[in-house]
Amino acid sequence: MTDPGAAPEPTHAPLHTVSRGRARWHRGLVRPVLQRRADVVPAAQAVAFVIGIVVALIAGALLLLAAGNDPAQVYGRMVDSSLGGINSISRTLLRATPLALAGLAVAVAGSMGLWNIGAEGQMMAGATVAAGFAMSAGDLPGPLLIVMMLIAGAVGGVILMVGPALARAYLGVSEIITTLMLVEVSIRVVEWLETGPWKDPESQGFALIEPLPDQASLPGLFGRAHIGALFAVALLVAFWLAVSRTAWGYELRMAGSSPATARYAGISLQRKVLAALLLSGGLAGLAGAIELTGTATRLDPGLSNGYGFAGIIVAALALMRPSGVAAVAFVFGAVQVGGQSIQTLGVTSSIATILQAMILIGALVAAVLLNYRVRWVRPVGHPAAEIAPPAGLAPGGAPPSGSSSNPEASGV
Amino acid sequence: MSEPGGAAASPGSGDGRVVVDLRGIRKEFPGVVACDGANLTVRAGTIHALLGENGAGKTSLVNVLGGVYLPDAGEIWVHGQQRQFHSPADAIAAGIGMVHQEFRLVPTLTVFENVVLGSAPRYLDMGQIIERVAHLAATYSLQTDPSRPVWQLSVGERQRVEILKALWRDADVLVLDEPTAVLTPAEAADLGLTLRSMADRGRSVVYISHKLDEVLSVCDEATVLRNGVTVARPRSLAGIDRSDLAEMMVGEAATQIQRPAERPSGDIVLELAGVSALSDRGLPALHSVDIDVRAGEIVGVAGVSGNGQRELAEAIAGLRPTTAGTMLLAGVDITGASPRGRSRAGLAYVPEDRLGMGLAPTMSVVDNAVVRSYRSMRRRMMLDLRRCEDFCRRLIERFGVQVGRVHEPVSALSGGNLQRLLLGRELTGEPKMLVAAQPTRGLDVAGIAAIQEQIVAQRAAGVGVLLISEDLDELLALSDRLIVMYEGQVAALMDPTQVTRAEVGAAMAGSTSTVSGGNS
Repeated sequence: MTDPGAAPEPTHAPLHTVSRGRARWHRGLVRPVLQRRADVVPAAQAVAFVIGIVVALIAGALLLLAAGNDPAQVYGRMVDSSLGGINSISRTLLRATPLALAGLAVAVAGSMGLWNIGAEGQMMAGATVAAGFAMSAGDLPGPLLIVMMLIAGAVGGVILMVGPALARAYLGVSEIITTLMLVEVSIRVVEWLETGPWKDPESQGFALIEPLPDQASLPGLFGRAHIGALFAVALLVAFWLAVSRTAWGYELRMAGSSPATARYAGISLQRKVLAALLLSGGLAGLAGAIELTGTATRLDPGLSNGYGFAGIIVAALALMRPSGVAAVAFVFGAVQVGGQSIQTLGVTSSIATILQAMILIGALVAAVLLNYRVRWVRPVGHPAAEIAPPAGLAPGGAPPSGSSSNPEASGV
Repeated sequence: MSEPGGAAASPGSGDGRVVVDLRGIRKEFPGVVACDGANLTVRAGTIHALLGENGAGKTSLVNVLGGVYLPDAGEIWVHGQQRQFHSPADAIAAGIGMVHQEFRLVPTLTVFENVVLGSAPRYLDMGQIIERVAHLAATYSLQTDPSRPVWQLSVGERQRVEILKALWRDADVLVLDEPTAVLTPAEAADLGLTLRSMADRGRSVVYISHKLDEVLSVCDEATVLRNGVTVARPRSLAGIDRSDLAEMMVGEAATQIQRPAERPSGDIVLELAGVSALSDRGLPALHSVDIDVRAGEIVGVAGVSGNGQRELAEAIAGLRPTTAGTMLLAGVDITGASPRGRSRAGLAYVPEDRLGMGLAPTMSVVDNAVVRSYRSMRRRMMLDLRRCEDFCRRLIERFGVQVGRVHEPVSALSGGNLQRLLLGRELTGEPKMLVAAQPTRGLDVAGIAAIQEQIVAQRAAGVGVLLISEDLDELLALSDRLIVMYEGQVAALMDPTQVTRAEVGAAMAGSTSTVSGGNS
């Protein structure tokens, strides 16, 4: 009984050609298909990171050439200024410290599958509360004042995170949006303090916040570096221990990787979400306070300097692992120091930002290619079969003789 | 619902020409083989039922046909041409239209916009397109208003839009995955008419359903899958009744471990009285269920999937709040207890969803082994990793789990080993009561035997067992008593030594005539 099919309704006869025509066009192309590799590359993420750096350097070199610069000279200067000698390394550490702390803050949330996009804002909030404490208790002895300021910083970060954490845990509101929006809020608050309540009376026309007491600055380590670098390392080790060696960390990993299993085991997901986000906020706030006491003489709206946002890239590249955070933060610190140093060669320091972004892109692509292989697949079927209407609707309905070209995929 | 065999008695209006031929399809997911040599032959002008228990591989098979999954092995032939579908677009271009369980429509667009989305003819104006969509809808008696936005439509109307989408793309073969699960009876009847009018016009329909009456009244032919393999493919459903279909779906087991004959006489360990609970969608799923299980007794729970078995297991485990009733575990009221509290009180639970709920896929074998015991592995603030590892190794040895390294992700294990690990973990706490949901589903023969032996061993050790399964032979061989669930109620309580498979099948299908002790 082919009659009904053989005489298709007029409505879709023209459509027939349209849809098949499009299909023929796009099926004619060889196209890539990702296939999971059976053989796992050892330390794939570390390899991907190195590949990312190489990709970034090549892309950066092309940009520099296009701008009329000598890449070898520029890169030489960058390496020399960031890694060539004790002083250079101290400058790199100075930058790597806030990057590592912010990266750690993001990684704490990330190990539960949450994204703290607002570490930048929590850093400002932490620095603000720390500065406020120093201004009101400025006559405390140095070490006590600094310790109290660091605690105040962590509290500041937690305060900014309370809203997003509660909203996420109990209402399911995306922490990505809420934390990001609060970045703007915290920076504007500092700007308001700068022009209003905390304005330095001696700054005359300038909008400046009162300077911190002299004793409120972190002891140096060597060169320009301060002991905040040691805090960062200690916190990374503590976090690693907590996640991999404690029952709390076990529950955190379980809740992050398989919520249904966590529920089954009797772990409260809501409490774990709260804990991870509040800890993340506290660490970012602490990063802000360390940056304030380590590098600044006074609070200003530019203090967080993009470290909080760069921390997201650091944590993502590190796959939320503490050891990775340390390594990536150090490399990024060096890139940033190098980027500043090349301004004297007439090259814009935004090359550093470009390099950071290219490292991320290169590493992401490399990570995919290390886990998957690309196969180029040729469409199957006899070309004539594509043009002829399907046998089901063709008059007579005899299927085309079966000896069509065999479906074959060319592996690469 | 029309009487079984009614419309199906008239053979399909096709001429028997094969439109779709799936040959030896194999599709494996981590830990589970969904299809292993499944065949499906669909002829022009027929409505073809694809039957099988949950997890038999029906949805995986049609997803292979629809280009959603690439098969690991096997051939797809469409209109006598061998094909490889790398995406749903390939399948659509070959004339395969899919209507999934969840609809894929843009709520803010109108019906006709959804229908032509991505394939609008460029040389027509909007009025002409609407006219054509309306004409197409009328041809197949699909009642719909092309200009209404989709968000205003009922579920049944949305389904019609999905069907229109497939027809607009000129699908010769329409695949519907449990289409009537979301429909009212009247809408389901209309759908049957639409599908018949498609078949009359030479198109083919692949129809997945659990509702056997519906299959018998709507479909011409059938393919039955069991454990990913095609086990029966009747060319005509004339003369076939519900229990025949049920038996084909459930099948016969080759060899079967048997519980010892002697009767258990222990105290009651689990007692459910009037327990009710809601489904994930907030609809009543359990109605006032009374069950008691004695120490050393296996109580089997049979039923077509979706009749409350899953909700029952989750309610007992404390993962689903109950709306009424009480639960006692060894005399202790656990009605409001947390999952952890129930575990401490002596409840072991092997969930249906073994990889994803029972085990955390990306975490290591050790981490998964200590899910129930990590709190006792603490030494001051730290987790004693050596003790965890020792515990894990003992578990692996005792239950014969084959593992490469204990620190590799658990998802690297095969299905049988996953289940040995999960069951072993649940049993190491010396439980009083074991709830096991589909513990042998999807396992190979050796895996099934190992799990069944463990369950029988627990019975001998005086543990009460509630065994929820869709394998009737397993239930008949292992259970001391058999409960049949139907629409969230205990429809029948049977003695496995006194009933036949057909009687159990009838009770599963909701008929209580042959059943002793039914209360629905």
